[in-house]
Amino acid sequence: MELVQIQRRLVDYTKSLFMEGFLDAQFLQLQQLQDDSNPDFVFEVVSLFFEDSEKLLNELTIALDQPNVDFKKIDSHVHQLKGSSSSIGAQRVKNACIAFRNYCDVQNIEGCLTCLQQVKQECYLVKNKFETLFRLEQQIMASGGSVPTTELGF
Amino acid sequence: MELMKSSDNIIQDRTQQQHKQEPEMQAQEGQQEQGHHFHVLAVDDSVIDRKLLEKLLKVSSYQVTCVDSGDKALEYLGLLNNLDSDSTASSSSPSSSSSSSSSSSNSSSCSQSSQREGLKVNLIMTDFCMPGMSGYDLLKRLKGSSWKDVPVVVMSSENVPSRISIRCLEGGAEEFMLKPLQLSDLEKIEAYLLKSLHLSCTNIDKDDDDNNADHNSDNNNDKVVNNDSNIDKGNNSTSMNNNFSKRKALSSEDTESRRPKIKGLAVAI
Repeated sequence: MELVQIQRRLVDYTKSLFMEGFLDAQFLQLQQLQDDSNPDFVFEVVSLFFEDSEKLLNELTIALDQPNVDFKKIDSHVHQLKGSSSSIGAQRVKNACIAFRNYCDVQNIEGCLTCLQQVKQECYLVKNKFETLFRLEQQIMASGGSVPTTELGF
Repeated sequence: MELMKSSDNIIQDRTQQQHKQEPEMQAQEGQQEQGHHFHVLAVDDSVIDRKLLEKLLKVSSYQVTCVDSGDKALEYLGLLNNLDSDSTASSSSPSSSSSSSSSSSNSSSCSQSSQREGLKVNLIMTDFCMPGMSGYDLLKRLKGSSWKDVPVVVMSSENVPSRISIRCLEGGAEEFMLKPLQLSDLEKIEAYLLKSLHLSCTNIDKDDDDNNADHNSDNNNDKVVNNDSNIDKGNNSTSMNNNFSKRKALSSEDTESRRPKIKGLAVAI
């Protein structure tokens, strides 16, 4: 595929992620922070997020499986996940965490379990999206091109 | 970068320094002259937020040190083992009597002096919600220590109730900022850093041997004043008092501009 075509694809793909709510403006901020001195910055931060979220989701699964559920602990984990997803612009994960915390506040175990599933699902989805995004970027770089900056109408 | 250029102009006006530095140049030279490379200590338990904050600050040409807890921050600042943090290193440090016995400890053990020699921190940014020592606890410890004049900014990932953000402001924080921070937030931080620069120019820094133009002229003025006038002697008997009153004047002037705007709340000054 021609370089220009891949670049076009990347731009369209990125736009769609914003349209579908997977990403919000914070992701743009991340991209803005990336520069020649640190060309993998976004990749590194996103990777950190998925490492971190995997640990948190495991902890949450274990915590909700206990005979006496420690809601304070759960809230703390979800707070952390909400914070880090917000920091990378993973909007749908963040929103799922907000819903999760609401059920935690009222100590509704069933609600929490459902939310945990949703958060896991959203993490899985956005992970795939990012992988596609990075793959497209790599293709562009490999063809000697530069990654177009994200410009959005809104 | 525009940010750097504007701070360049202000600093050059204030301290009349002639040098121009590339943003990429490292901090040592800048730190000595308190010029272009402010040193920020960032405290956050989230590895992602630390990475982000570090990048934000570096992109804005600040020097950054990141730690993951309040305890680590205190350790870094040399406050951890000192209960009485207001004392200077030479007078109260327990290590002074045992320095001969522990030869390796003097250089590596920052915790034995209330202020690490030569360490310059221009701003401390801390997360509010951390396990163990919270950002508020850290703030209180800092304000009760020899580092009390360093501006502190508290950050939080959620819109905490105003009673909490006010508590932080009353505790001495400059501002309470919402995470995730953005480049535009760094402009506010620049203002606090420049303020701290101005304060440190007019303060007597007990531990500092730096030649500071303002500092020297204050001393000279005091000597002249004391010799010439009894009235002034009362007011300016030591240059320290002179500088404290200058500081007070500064803070009252700056209060209004310093106070962050809290939505829906009138902040009485």
